[in-house]
Amino acid sequence: MAILVKFFGDLAKKVSQKETRIESPFSLKIETQGIEYIADILKKYSIEKSETSHIFVNGIYAGFRKRVKDGDRVGIFPKNMGLLYKWYFTRVEDD
Amino acid sequence: MSKLETSFEDFPESYATLGGRALTSTIVSKEVDPTCHPLGPNNKLVFAPGIITGTVAPTSGRISVGGKSPLTGGIKEANAGTDFPQRLARMQIAAIIVEGQPKGDDYHMLKISIDKVEFINANKYVGKGLYQVYKDLFKEFGNRVSICACGIAGELMGAASGICFNDPEGLPSRYAGRGGLGAVMASKGLKFIVVDDTGAPGVEIKNKELFDQGREKLRKALAEHDVTKPDGALASYGTAVLVNIINEAGGLPQRNFSSGQDDRAANISGEKKAEEIKIRGGTRPHHCNPGCVIRCSEVWTKPGGKDPVGVLEYESVWALGANCSIYNLDDIGELNRACNDLGLDTIEAGDTIAVAMEGGMLKFGDGKGALKVMDEIRKKTPTGRILANGCAFTGQAFGVTRVPAVKGQGFPAYDPRAIKGIGVTYATTPMGADHTAGYAIATEIMGVGGTADPRDTNKSELSRNLQVATAYLDSTGYCLFTAFAVLDIPEGLEGMIQSVNGVLGKEVDLTELGMKVITTERDFNKAAGFTAADDRIPEFLRQEPVAPSGEVFNVSNEELDKVWGA
Repeated sequence: MAILVKFFGDLAKKVSQKETRIESPFSLKIETQGIEYIADILKKYSIEKSETSHIFVNGIYAGFRKRVKDGDRVGIFPKNMGLLYKWYFTRVEDD
Repeated sequence: MSKLETSFEDFPESYATLGGRALTSTIVSKEVDPTCHPLGPNNKLVFAPGIITGTVAPTSGRISVGGKSPLTGGIKEANAGTDFPQRLARMQIAAIIVEGQPKGDDYHMLKISIDKVEFINANKYVGKGLYQVYKDLFKEFGNRVSICACGIAGELMGAASGICFNDPEGLPSRYAGRGGLGAVMASKGLKFIVVDDTGAPGVEIKNKELFDQGREKLRKALAEHDVTKPDGALASYGTAVLVNIINEAGGLPQRNFSSGQDDRAANISGEKKAEEIKIRGGTRPHHCNPGCVIRCSEVWTKPGGKDPVGVLEYESVWALGANCSIYNLDDIGELNRACNDLGLDTIEAGDTIAVAMEGGMLKFGDGKGALKVMDEIRKKTPTGRILANGCAFTGQAFGVTRVPAVKGQGFPAYDPRAIKGIGVTYATTPMGADHTAGYAIATEIMGVGGTADPRDTNKSELSRNLQVATAYLDSTGYCLFTAFAVLDIPEGLEGMIQSVNGVLGKEVDLTELGMKVITTERDFNKAAGFTAADDRIPEFLRQEPVAPSGEVFNVSNEELDKVWGA
């Protein structure tokens, strides 16, 4: 088991290190070792919090302190994809 | 239209602060019998630019079209972004009211110039696709005109028909799509309105200093915000940026609302589409009317940059794509072209095809088959007549019980089980299931109560406030997407309100105007026979959990009724 992480848009470009013909999402299965929160995933790929907009964990709109575990699906969107009916959502955090 | 006569009326003082939706809904409410047949002589069709439309205020080229809807049986306002209302506003025409009904089968075009209004017989265009017709009309009248039309679906009196406007390339791709107003236009024997604003005096701005201050603040906010700035979300990916986002939220309906997520959605996402346009040709970003600084639009084409379609919006990509299990942008592009060509609302068309798929008429995922189905409408066959009337009618015809509609109008691209607040708006807006009705100024600014947790069921106050704010925005002529910048940047909202007040020369209260619009619309619907029982979500969404969240729509009817205190 692992965590399925999907990076979208410019973050797919950054993580895949491709400039053109990027696939969005760029999907990775990552091991859980050293990964407790969303913030740890960002750190692992040198992504600043300010580079992100929407984050989902198993379809739940999540914040940086949302815990992640084996089998989770995580979607991370870049700052310039912040288009959401965000007034229908609040970020879920665990700590 | 009964005698093919036109006349001008002075704009009543009591309407002085009205434009867009506020004006269409007020006129319809005052002049249309709520119990009339929507396709009979007593319905009226009203076109109104927004208050600010036709000025140099950014992103303000919206038109509202109103009437009694043949789809819902209630009041309808559908709006579109196009240069048509900018010309009308510059000619100082606050509204066009189309009334009466001619005897016989003739169709006419209404041609409006600064010194002349005339009817021209339009029979030669009947039964023809709008792409070729628009080419012919622009060739005849030149590029200094704007054109609105009803298509073949309207000629069929189909309740899924929209009213078509041109984009800047002259493509028939900008729609006041919802509610079957194309059929109302056709029922009056009106095929086109052509507007030539040569020599127009321009919009009268009562307080230019205030207007200029306001529009500059708004322009700055739009230029700064991540969603609306020149290289922001909307310019980069268009509205279809939402495909992957809503899919991750588990709220992108698949296969006629059978699931809220499918990884194949990535094949039809905004990112994928933007990449494809770079490769095949077409245009992105693109404005739907001059003066839009957000530029969410685009021109999608066939490979090689051939045969431009126009924009593939998020709602259209979803309706004609994921909702029908079609995950191929070329198929979706051709289905969108067929809708534009036939004068069909893409959302209603997608819901209808999905329901027909569920009813066994064709298989889910069959993009080519879906295109053939569109030909039934083009040929005006009995099957085409069923489909042109939308998903609820088609559901009845095919014995399908899983029909995603409120007040007869098909759902847009958000599953209300995963995102309950929008479900409350679908249920309670006077328009029938409509995503735009609650898409506006946010919680912080409006002081909205309730909670923004998408799975929480306490949503009545949130939905009410969003609907009220949207009604204001729909009346100004500003595009709904200005709301993103206005939401996060307080000077943006201040600028928006100042610019509107600058045009009017008086202060208009956002909440008061918005509430007045909704009250007018709800009163019309009540008089047309609507009750609280019409503000309900279809039964199957309360019973079938949606994957992957496992949620059902569990907002109580009492909570729904609290939205308007019914």
